[in-house]
Amino acid sequence: MNLHAMDYLIISTYFLFVIGVGFIIKNKIRSSNDFLSSKRNIPLWITSLAFISANLGAQEVIGMVASGAKYGIMTVHFYWMGAIFAMVFLGIFMMPFYYGSKARSVPEYLKLRFDEKTRGLNAITFAVMTVFSSGISLYALAKLLEAILKWDFDVSIWLAASIVMLYTFLGGLTSAVYNEVLQFFLIVFGLSPLMIVALHDAGGWSNIRTLLQPEMTHAWKYMGHADSNPMGINFMSLIFGLGFVMSFGYWCTDFLVVQRAMMAKNMNAAQRTPIIAAIPKMLMPLIVVLPGLIAITLMQPALASKGFSIPSDGKGGLDYTMTLPSLISHYYPTGLLGIGITALIASFMSGMAGNVTAFNSVFTYDIYQSYFVKNRSDRYYLIVGKMVTIFGILFSIITAYIAKGFNNINDFLQLVFSFVNGPLFATFLLGMFWKRTTGHGAFWGLLAGTLAAALTHGLTLAEGKGGWIYPLYEIHSGMGQAFIVAAMSWIANFCTTIVVSLFTKPKHADELKGLVYSLTVKPNYHQDKWYRRVILPGLILIIITIILNMIFF
Amino acid sequence: MYKKISNLGFVIGIFFIIISLILLIGTLVSSLPATRLNLYTGFVFLAFGTLMAFFSKGDSNEKTD
Repeated sequence: MNLHAMDYLIISTYFLFVIGVGFIIKNKIRSSNDFLSSKRNIPLWITSLAFISANLGAQEVIGMVASGAKYGIMTVHFYWMGAIFAMVFLGIFMMPFYYGSKARSVPEYLKLRFDEKTRGLNAITFAVMTVFSSGISLYALAKLLEAILKWDFDVSIWLAASIVMLYTFLGGLTSAVYNEVLQFFLIVFGLSPLMIVALHDAGGWSNIRTLLQPEMTHAWKYMGHADSNPMGINFMSLIFGLGFVMSFGYWCTDFLVVQRAMMAKNMNAAQRTPIIAAIPKMLMPLIVVLPGLIAITLMQPALASKGFSIPSDGKGGLDYTMTLPSLISHYYPTGLLGIGITALIASFMSGMAGNVTAFNSVFTYDIYQSYFVKNRSDRYYLIVGKMVTIFGILFSIITAYIAKGFNNINDFLQLVFSFVNGPLFATFLLGMFWKRTTGHGAFWGLLAGTLAAALTHGLTLAEGKGGWIYPLYEIHSGMGQAFIVAAMSWIANFCTTIVVSLFTKPKHADELKGLVYSLTVKPNYHQDKWYRRVILPGLILIIITIILNMIFF
Repeated sequence: MYKKISNLGFVIGIFFIIISLILLIGTLVSSLPATRLNLYTGFVFLAFGTLMAFFSKGDSNEKTD
């Protein structure tokens, strides 16, 4: 893939703009709250697009195109089953607690609802995970640029990290969020032409359905048994593992995304943020799943004349992660190629900046201010927040180099991440809807859930992974294993939290007002127009999602 | 002017206008073969950028809690 002056000019313009946004926002930063939590002053359209952009990082864009090529249309389950329902649930039921409690972070909500140790456990695990995720994003970006553009690995790492550091250091969360919105439009507009020309070249959706095996173009029809679909899982594992535990665990409790909704100007906007974000999320498979399906169609013998191929992984299979770069290289001319590459860079930087800003807030508020230096001036915490930005980026760079030395560190971290995130939704579900839940119950439930996840992984084997205790049970795919691990961890957390709570003393009802569903005054939007309400648009989205699942059944 | 620059819709609009101009002018004047895909994309970017820069309402007047 050779870039020309026009392509470099486009990439440079993008870099200038993201740094420029940092300088513009810099003048608005006067307090630690401005820097770390945007002072709840961001308009709804920005919080909504930032909400979805925080999840539009490298894994999303490149990973989902790769999954589209590998697993076919079943990949849409990550959107229509694994996102929309949870986003609507977050908007309707959970945002009133996050926003209404005035907590500045998800761990801080845990402190208000439960106790300090539950907050500490969540804050530390989250901070470690975000900084590692950021580093993995950086590593993946540098590897990609090295593979497709022959750019130097070290230069790519330091250049990308410096740009992210500059605009997050200058403008904090607001700057990161503003850039996420810019990146959202760039990714959507930069990759849409690819989908259009490649789809036309492949002969349209009807030709894709003709040329591919039926299990690649049906989302549900072949999910009755794990052996009959490319993902190797049955519908029960998918619905409970992905559709419930992993999906709700991520969208409803991960501070990285919830933080975007918590920046909204008022309760109504905070509740509508994930609901409005669900609209583009629902359409996202068009630019991230469909290109994968198109790519695999173009490699069928009937379309061999098109000359497209996905590179080999050197082990006799296909290197699916190169599906999107290969499509861009094949279809985009000079100029548009620069836009396509910029869109890829934007997705990596968006993922990295999202992690760094979430790390900033949690480290400063929930670790540093809570355990190390309390009761100092606001200016002091503003400076700490800025220093944490620099350290967060430096840790990310170190992680990126660690990842370079270990082939499987990404798999390992994703696994640990699922151990931690998987059970978390049980803690929130019980905490928000059962006032009898205690701090001890939540803490031990979280530990039990994480332990159950580790045990399940150690006793199951899938695609050569897991089974490190004893390979007791074999699962067809790594993805199926992840769903089962998540399900087991959730069940262990849910049961342990209930049992321990029943034997320990709960907080008094007065302390739980605004933190538990039965003790909270529900926001009422009956006076507003239908589209400014929360429940009706949420229901409409759910109905459309069900219809989409039926169309592609 | 500062108010305009600090309006995200305006910034995004200007970004897309500049990118579209690079794409359109670069495609028309370069010695490389001009492709319709570049031109179509350039015009779509230009239209979107203009809408965002000059017709977006900017920060809405949502009340803060």
